[in-house]
Amino acid sequence: MLTVTNVDKFYGGVKAVENVSLEVNKGKIIGLIGTNGAGKTTLFNVISGFDKLDRGSVNFDGQEISNLLPSKIANLGMIRTFQTATGFPRLTVLENLLVFSENNNFEFYKNFLNKNEQNKEQIEKAENLLKKFGLFEKKNQWVVDLSAPELKILEFARAIMGNPQIMLLDEPAAGVNPALLEQLMEIIQELNGEGITFLIVDHNLRFICDISDFIYVMNDGKLIAQGKPDEIVNNELVIETYIGK
Amino acid sequence: MEGFLIFAISILTLAFVYVILCLALNIECGVAGMWDLGIVSYFGVGAYSYAIIVAPEAASYQHYLFGLESNPIYGIVLAIILGGVSAYLIGLPSLRLRREYFLITTIAFSEVLRITFSNENWLTNGVAGIYNIEQPLKSYFSPDNYIVLLFVIFLCFSVIVYKMVNKLSFSTYGLSLKALRENEALAKTARIEPSKQYHSVYVFTGCLAGFSGALYVWLNTLIVPTQFTPNVTFFVWTALIIGGIGNNRGAFLGAIFFVILLETLSFLNLSAELALVVSSLRIALVGLALILILRYLPNGLLREKPTVL
Repeated sequence: MLTVTNVDKFYGGVKAVENVSLEVNKGKIIGLIGTNGAGKTTLFNVISGFDKLDRGSVNFDGQEISNLLPSKIANLGMIRTFQTATGFPRLTVLENLLVFSENNNFEFYKNFLNKNEQNKEQIEKAENLLKKFGLFEKKNQWVVDLSAPELKILEFARAIMGNPQIMLLDEPAAGVNPALLEQLMEIIQELNGEGITFLIVDHNLRFICDISDFIYVMNDGKLIAQGKPDEIVNNELVIETYIGK
Repeated sequence: MEGFLIFAISILTLAFVYVILCLALNIECGVAGMWDLGIVSYFGVGAYSYAIIVAPEAASYQHYLFGLESNPIYGIVLAIILGGVSAYLIGLPSLRLRREYFLITTIAFSEVLRITFSNENWLTNGVAGIYNIEQPLKSYFSPDNYIVLLFVIFLCFSVIVYKMVNKLSFSTYGLSLKALRENEALAKTARIEPSKQYHSVYVFTGCLAGFSGALYVWLNTLIVPTQFTPNVTFFVWTALIIGGIGNNRGAFLGAIFFVILLETLSFLNLSAELALVVSSLRIALVGLALILILRYLPNGLLREKPTVL
């Protein structure tokens, strides 16, 4: 489904990502771990079009996407999240979901000439999602008034609204308490059961091992290991990277 | 009609020109989050477009292009088109920048245009400006009735623009602009292409500002480059801040409140010497109002509220 081949990304003389290749198969949950500064988020930015790669290729569903704009990549069904979950602060919870509606037409002329309001079907879909995630009561509140855990949950609701084929989660476990982490894992597994593929970046080894089918490990911009969770936790190089000799 | 009433109606008619400018700035800045300090550019382009089409042929001591004495409707249409075209062209380089850098570029372009209006005699008659631009329909009405007619026409125009801007603000297009304002990176993941949205709203703002420029010349019957200094931009910003950034009703109200405030001191019956001193206090009065609004109502008279669907 998603294939990254020999990708390099340099910032001046700094090699943020060097010769990284990985594969994400449909319906799987793939983890990508590494310490701070390992190049995980840079790789995410390259995959999702926020950064241009210097070498290599990124292929999604048989299409080369390495030179596409983020909006075009999102249009293909790849939706990503960011490390800090702020959403759209001064849009309501409901609007935060509606922005991601698949049927949205953002063209100026269409909106200028026609009455192009959100259709009832999309509003109903968004409301059902909010009910599912326990945010329905707050649908008309600005997102800036939500708590941090609510923001994390809203991220998932928002992404689902866009009917993604694959979700790229950037450090979903960062700053999350154990109870919420448990809840997030349940949500990810449920969505995965519904057919959404995940590529998850985090540096919480336990979280990634608990949830992933396959894991890639990065350090200093390079892939240093890959395997199933039980192989990764016993990999000496990984242990050395995380804990030291 | 009593002098006071005529004066009040005239001031409100001028206020409607500012209402259109304020609504244009609101969809650009309040809804889309683009900090533009060059709205006077398109106001000026619209005003000159209207003037050179509607004004009579230049006299022997004047120089300006065209002077076709044509139907004012053509003047208004040309003002809207050239306001949009100039916004499109200025947007090409300046929309590559964000926030403060965009702001600096737009104010720079507005000064370039003002200097062009002053120096290109062949086009605009330079600093001497263009005078005696006939007001449409004036010959059919008495002077007093014409003032009322202008008030009604300008009110209708500003209400139409309000309806248009409001409809756009609450459409999916408006939602995309608000999403960009709030979080551009996240908006990209919602399939929104920032450059396309920014450019379209910038051109739309240019069209509206051009339209208000045409109305301004219609109202004043003359045009000189000093009418298009950055002061106009700051006035519109002040009006919008007073009314409430992000709220179209606030923009409407803010513009009227601002113009009334600016002209309030003109109501005083003073000696010529004192009037000169007091007139220079007008800007200070606006400044004071701005400080008080920011202190006690930081979101303006009518703040932006969550949209209930």
